[in-house]
Amino acid sequence: MNCKDCADRLDRFVDRELNSTEVLELQLHLEGCPDCEEHYEFQAHLKRLVKNSCDCDTPPAFREKLRQILS
Amino acid sequence: MAESPARTAFAEEALTHLDTLYRGALRLTRDPDQAQDLVQEAYLRAIRYQHSYQQGTNMKAWLFAIMRNLFWDRFKGSRKEDVSLDDVGEFVLYDKLRDEGAKPEADVLDKLAASEVVKAVETLPPLHREVVLLVDVEGMSYKDAASALGVPIGTVMSRLHRARQQLQKSLYDYAVESGIVRGSDGHQVPQS
Repeated sequence: MNCKDCADRLDRFVDRELNSTEVLELQLHLEGCPDCEEHYEFQAHLKRLVKNSCDCDTPPAFREKLRQILS
Repeated sequence: MAESPARTAFAEEALTHLDTLYRGALRLTRDPDQAQDLVQEAYLRAIRYQHSYQQGTNMKAWLFAIMRNLFWDRFKGSRKEDVSLDDVGEFVLYDKLRDEGAKPEADVLDKLAASEVVKAVETLPPLHREVVLLVDVEGMSYKDAASALGVPIGTVMSRLHRARQQLQKSLYDYAVESGIVRGSDGHQVPQS
């Protein structure tokens, strides 16, 4: 696997959508390529940032209201 | 009206996915009151049509599908937003920052405010926003996201790809505007 192939698969790797063969090939490449490893870390961090930033809990009062409506 | 045990059990299980529905509704409507209305209506519809839910399948995806279909029914009526994405081309934030001499994680990601990330997500057209919500925020697989959205997996992948490019472009623009990086117009980038 070359660096372009790796970059093309990084999103799917971060999304856990590669098959086991593809995962192994990509992990082997990352182990030997600091640049791609850094790119992977960046993509993973970006995805976590989106998740954590958009995370929020349902307001407790609304949760209770809904529970009562549905019960 | 007397509640049957089956209906009660269904409602209890459905409510375990409330946070997912609320988060999705909030990011789609961008308004907490509208989000609550949407979620409430979605749950009432889910209860009414619970017989159509197949036991053992992904209830979270099923519920999200109900909620987003209700959202789109309302959205079609209002047409307040554009549904198209700007063509940012192949914008890869990591490459852009590296080309400008920045350390992408330390110099940029660590300095982005959560509120700006939310703003970037909420600025995406709804069709692209919802796929980011499902895959990036809720951690759904492409297959489950496709089921929730009623589209092929390929459509999920292409929308996600374009949405992420737009998201990265928005975050880059914010980083330049706020001085986190100085952009590629000849200025030096900050050295940490």
